[in-house]
Amino acid sequence: MKPVSLVTLCLLGFASSAFASSFIATTDTIGASLANTVEGTTNITSSIGDDKVVQEARTDAASFVASQGEIRGVRLEAALNHIRTALPQVRASDMQLAEAILAL
Amino acid sequence: MSEDCKALRAALVTLFLWLLCSAPAAALQLVLDDPVLTPLERRATLDLLDLAKRSLPPAMVGRLDRSVEVGWDPGLPPQVIGRATAAGKLQLNRQWLQPLVAGEADALFSERRHGGLREELLATVVHEVAHMYDRAQAGSSGQQSALRHCRRQYQSTGVVGLPVSCRGNGQRRRTLSDNPRLLDLAGWSEQAGGRGKRHSVSDQPDRSPDAYEHTSPAEFVAVNLEYFLLDPEYACRRPALYQYFAEHFGWAPPQASCGTTYPFVSAGPGRNQPVIGSIDPSRIYAVHYLLAEPNREWASRWGHSMLRLVICAPGREPGPDCLLDLEHHLVLSFRAFLSDLQLSSWDGLTGEYPSRLFILPLGQVVDEYTRLELRGLQSIPLELSAEQRAGLVRQAAQLHWSYDGRYYFVSNNCAVETLKLLRIGTRDSRLAGLESITPTGVLQLLQARGLARPDVLADRSAALRKGFYFDSQRERYERMLAVVRDELRVPADDLDSWLAQPAASRRPLFQQAGRGASAALLLLEQAALDRQALLAQQALRRRYLADDDHAGLRAAGLLMQDLLDHSTFFSRPAELLEHGYGLPHGEEHARLEHGASTRKREWLMLAERVEDLLPDLLSARQRQELEDGKHNLKLIGERLRLLHQQEGGLSLP
Repeated sequence: MKPVSLVTLCLLGFASSAFASSFIATTDTIGASLANTVEGTTNITSSIGDDKVVQEARTDAASFVASQGEIRGVRLEAALNHIRTALPQVRASDMQLAEAILAL
Repeated sequence: MSEDCKALRAALVTLFLWLLCSAPAAALQLVLDDPVLTPLERRATLDLLDLAKRSLPPAMVGRLDRSVEVGWDPGLPPQVIGRATAAGKLQLNRQWLQPLVAGEADALFSERRHGGLREELLATVVHEVAHMYDRAQAGSSGQQSALRHCRRQYQSTGVVGLPVSCRGNGQRRRTLSDNPRLLDLAGWSEQAGGRGKRHSVSDQPDRSPDAYEHTSPAEFVAVNLEYFLLDPEYACRRPALYQYFAEHFGWAPPQASCGTTYPFVSAGPGRNQPVIGSIDPSRIYAVHYLLAEPNREWASRWGHSMLRLVICAPGREPGPDCLLDLEHHLVLSFRAFLSDLQLSSWDGLTGEYPSRLFILPLGQVVDEYTRLELRGLQSIPLELSAEQRAGLVRQAAQLHWSYDGRYYFVSNNCAVETLKLLRIGTRDSRLAGLESITPTGVLQLLQARGLARPDVLADRSAALRKGFYFDSQRERYERMLAVVRDELRVPADDLDSWLAQPAASRRPLFQQAGRGASAALLLLEQAALDRQALLAQQALRRRYLADDDHAGLRAAGLLMQDLLDHSTFFSRPAELLEHGYGLPHGEEHARLEHGASTRKREWLMLAERVEDLLPDLLSARQRQELEDGKHNLKLIGERLRLLHQQEGGLSLP
């Protein structure tokens, strides 16, 4: 789980706090995902856990595990799909995979 | 019958046939009217006129029933290549006659748009004939009768009762330059609530072949017909207009081979994200109306309208599976580009901040709304054909490279612009005449016309799972707090007060947490840290705007301004290319790639410097809290890994 960068928030803040939203750009956006740049991951994978689609599923995996499978977001769904396609030999339940993503 | 009679009859038939053939044909003639030319000059001029006439669409030549005199005028100002007189005579500047005959002076024109003297003269003739055609109220018989119908309707009902199909067609006086479709594509867009009334200035100033085209719709038509007829790349650079003219004339000039994708500058600032992306319309499985739900902030009570392109991962056949290819999905979002740290709400209301079309990775948009603004996102599939989806992307690409709109709070906001993009791009008759100035209003209209299917939201958990709904993280945090409360038996009723505790005071709980509670705590720690960062940012901003005389703050402010100045190219990519018009074509791609990566590198370096500077500006307590929060996240991550190991969990290779 990556912390939001301050630059991001500052750009966000300057851009938005007067209107705090869409009408006047929620954000100028430009900085919006600097968070991701600061601790960015690459797609050059040595491990499936480095894949962006798996990394981006961590929040969803946490909600899934904590809610015992009740909250199931699309990012987790995409990651499960990705893992099963890439590693057909891995036989595991959704919960086991979600736990594995969370433990990365 | 005698031989004489036969001969007479044959002669009469011949005469009749001859009369028939030599009667003035109903077509445009370019007649050389210049008595003082040498034979060579005469030959060169006739060749030019012949070439001009052959460049014109046959329908234009056929419908312009007149003969136009062309001559060389020694009295024209040197910078003018030619012009039409009030009487309809075409005059070319005589200073170019000799160079034309001698085949000289091309070098003088290599910098001009059409690339040579002969080409410039040719373009001038085409330009003036285009004006004549535009004023002639010409068109195919089908086009003419549709216009007559609308004119009658207009006379009997006026603008208020005019059917949508006749909007903008009730009082037409021109062949092309007051055609609603042409005006849509050219950027003289309709005013919201104006019943077809249009803005007086084009909102597509960038990447123009010739700034003169923005003078008026009439000049736009004349300039664009030059390029349509003389530049084979026009089809690639302005594909929608190319198609418009080709449909109008029922004929198309030769065209260069265009790529199958549209390049764009990605506004996703991730270090590893390629700065130049490309969209292949055939790879788009669906287009969704993406609505950021309203929240309690007064300016976001209406929500925010966007479009999501469901693009399939390479190698996947377009189909429902593409819904999970999230990292390839893009979002088209009209937003104000804020160029100034001193944001003024008055300027926002009056359109001081230009509206730009941002093209963003979906993941970034989801994080921004659900995690930072704590708003839900609805992603509603639109019922569009493959051709309509392609038209939509084509229009979006066109706007991305040329658009620089004014942003008005009420009359020109994201809802108005998104609806306009949909309408112009898809040409769907169900969208004709639709108007709404609110994002939720647009959705209701789309639903009423059968274009949107909000029933995908009926089953909430299926919607979450398939990505038709992205829930506000706040809802999840509430659920997580309940998990922590139940599992660890701690008093935790209120999310806000939970998150407001000092980070260090939450730490002792970690050791008791099992896997479920640890997962819940991970999310809550993320929420707490996000909240701390937002508070720190607000404090900085307050101090900056209050003109705090702190040297470090001023330096950071200057750097931030610099960073903003360096970010314009993300949303106004035309800055990256000096030459060329419309969509980038051919060797422009390489220059674009190079320019954009250089600019992004500079931008990232600046961002890093700001990043380094900011922590020192915070109070010691804020700094400590942020550090503690990060440490908590690390600890809870370790705890999760430990529990996973102890329980012999699966580890991914």
